[in-house]
Amino acid sequence: MTRLNTNQWLALVIALFSMGYLVMAYQIPSFPLPRPVDSDLFPKVLGFVLLGLALLLFLEQPKARDVPQPSDVDEQAIPLLLRPWSRVVVTSLAIAVYAAILVSIGFVVASTLLSFGLTWYYGYRRHVVNLAVSLGVVLALYLTMTKVMNVYLPTGILPI
Amino acid sequence: MDAFNNLMYGFGIALEPINILYVFVGVFAGTIIGMLPGLGPISALALMIPITFAMDPSSGLILMAGVYYGAIFGGSTSSILLNAPGVAGTVATSFDGYPMAKQGLAGKALAIAAYASFVGGTISIVFLMMVAPLLSKVAVSFGPAEYFALMVLGLTAVVSLSDKSLVKGLIAAVIGVMISIIGIDLQTGTVRYAFGTAHLLDGIDFLVVALGIFALAEVFYILLRGGGGKEQPRNVIGSLKLSRGEVKEIAGPIGRSSVLGFFTGVLPGAGATIGSFLGYSMEKRLAKDGDTFGKGNIKGVAAPEAANNAACTGSFVPLLTLGVPGSGTTAVLLGALLVMGVTPGPAMLVDRPDVFWGVIASMYIGNIFLLVLNLPLIPFIARILDMPRPLLLSLILIFCMIGVYGMSFSVFDLFLLLGFGLLGLGMRLFGFPAAPLILALILGGIMEESMRRALQISGGDWSTFIDKPISLTLLIIAGLSLTLPLVKKVVVRVRATS
Repeated sequence: MTRLNTNQWLALVIALFSMGYLVMAYQIPSFPLPRPVDSDLFPKVLGFVLLGLALLLFLEQPKARDVPQPSDVDEQAIPLLLRPWSRVVVTSLAIAVYAAILVSIGFVVASTLLSFGLTWYYGYRRHVVNLAVSLGVVLALYLTMTKVMNVYLPTGILPI
Repeated sequence: MDAFNNLMYGFGIALEPINILYVFVGVFAGTIIGMLPGLGPISALALMIPITFAMDPSSGLILMAGVYYGAIFGGSTSSILLNAPGVAGTVATSFDGYPMAKQGLAGKALAIAAYASFVGGTISIVFLMMVAPLLSKVAVSFGPAEYFALMVLGLTAVVSLSDKSLVKGLIAAVIGVMISIIGIDLQTGTVRYAFGTAHLLDGIDFLVVALGIFALAEVFYILLRGGGGKEQPRNVIGSLKLSRGEVKEIAGPIGRSSVLGFFTGVLPGAGATIGSFLGYSMEKRLAKDGDTFGKGNIKGVAAPEAANNAACTGSFVPLLTLGVPGSGTTAVLLGALLVMGVTPGPAMLVDRPDVFWGVIASMYIGNIFLLVLNLPLIPFIARILDMPRPLLLSLILIFCMIGVYGMSFSVFDLFLLLGFGLLGLGMRLFGFPAAPLILALILGGIMEESMRRALQISGGDWSTFIDKPISLTLLIIAGLSLTLPLVKKVVVRVRATS
């Protein structure tokens, strides 16, 4: 069996997605009064168009730009936690944790922690500068949003 | 005379102290964000949207327009100093700008970029003033069928002019439309694709998608490429002065490229990137010393810079007159306007002349700011390029968070932002263009509404889209824009085999 190329893998994923999308489109309820176009038509058209495009993608030969290029970094030479993909995963987790604790601990503390922590994790070692910039920018944003633009941001554990 | 009176009215708005401040802030912030490699005008605009929430629409658009052309201008600085264009529209500038910087002439290249941007911007505003009212008069006669066809053309043009795969561009566009229809269908009240969660009933805000797909995905991409790696050494700037002979030499290219750039910008899908490449190649062909292009020819900096700024102004024509953005960047601008409660289109000239003429007048002021403020400040502003990359990446993340949370106050949207960031990274890695997705997201809802209204008027008769000459013509052009590249490919292959 010949191996599937990148475009063919992507096409299969997109085809599966479009089929799921179509199944849901057929479950959209009809409007009680007869109309020339109901809410389900557009989603059905989109689902079938995407399915057709997935087929075309399956037949398209991938070019160099369609395949992720290996990083210039020698991954084996660096610890697992600092490898490029690990950085993406850790950053994503940090954002998820930030979203989860934002309301309870407040915008200023959560954002300063996120900025300081990630900057440190990315390899910046001047901690005082890091803390000053992180706290300064976050405070400036917080004050602009809350005092100038009257946009509420959660205060959390801080009194203001 | 009418245009003159309207412009004076616009200046009355643009010269209000608060609006002058907004032009300045917009141009300055745009210059800085545009300068940062990877962050283009779309990210710059998306990051600035939260600031415009509470603003008067004319002030908001004045600020956003400043960010847009500021970002285009800022992109040229990193193109010239680092050979790392912050914006796709300034890639052509690096062809001769960077060699000039390597020869110790960075200051001269930056000065030429500033003058060319100023002239290109100013000439194109005059064209914008002349063309926009004419086009909006034509557009008044457009019905839903014509609008639907126009939006289809806008989408196909962006897809076909992208440098990536046509099929992948179309897939991105279809996914963009799919995202746009999530939530309650306003015509029937039916809920679509909300997965039973109340968070999705109002749909997904475009800002969440724009910040995720562009800004957050860019952060992820930089991390994946080694966290930005070592900082690149920046070339010294040197003198900013130009000789009289040099001014004379660049005058022609700037004039020609300004006009070319404007009309490229008006076309859907074209814009600053194509405008700058066209300007560059036109001058290379016309120049007697064309063989020195790419080695530090000053005309090679002047032409693309005039063209990209002119195209940037030109792209306001379809946005303001038809309400249909021709690019991802103007799509974000349209989204921002809708958030502020203004619907651009042919009626805008009558309903909101303050927004229309205020923005046009502010562009004159913004271009002067770009020149007068940025030129002497360039050596200082360029120091932002020395900012440690880890710190910069973290701050971009904070801007994304506050942008999304400050608009919706929803933690759910922060998770969505993360999801779109990862989707954007995947798209980037596998060669899917992001601009069609964001354009389709903005246009999707209006497109469906136009289609349904057209079909309701025709009693469900689909031939309504081809019965009307304007709609038919637009759909034919849309079809051609997709099929011509394929036909060209087949012809080349057949010729090669024979």
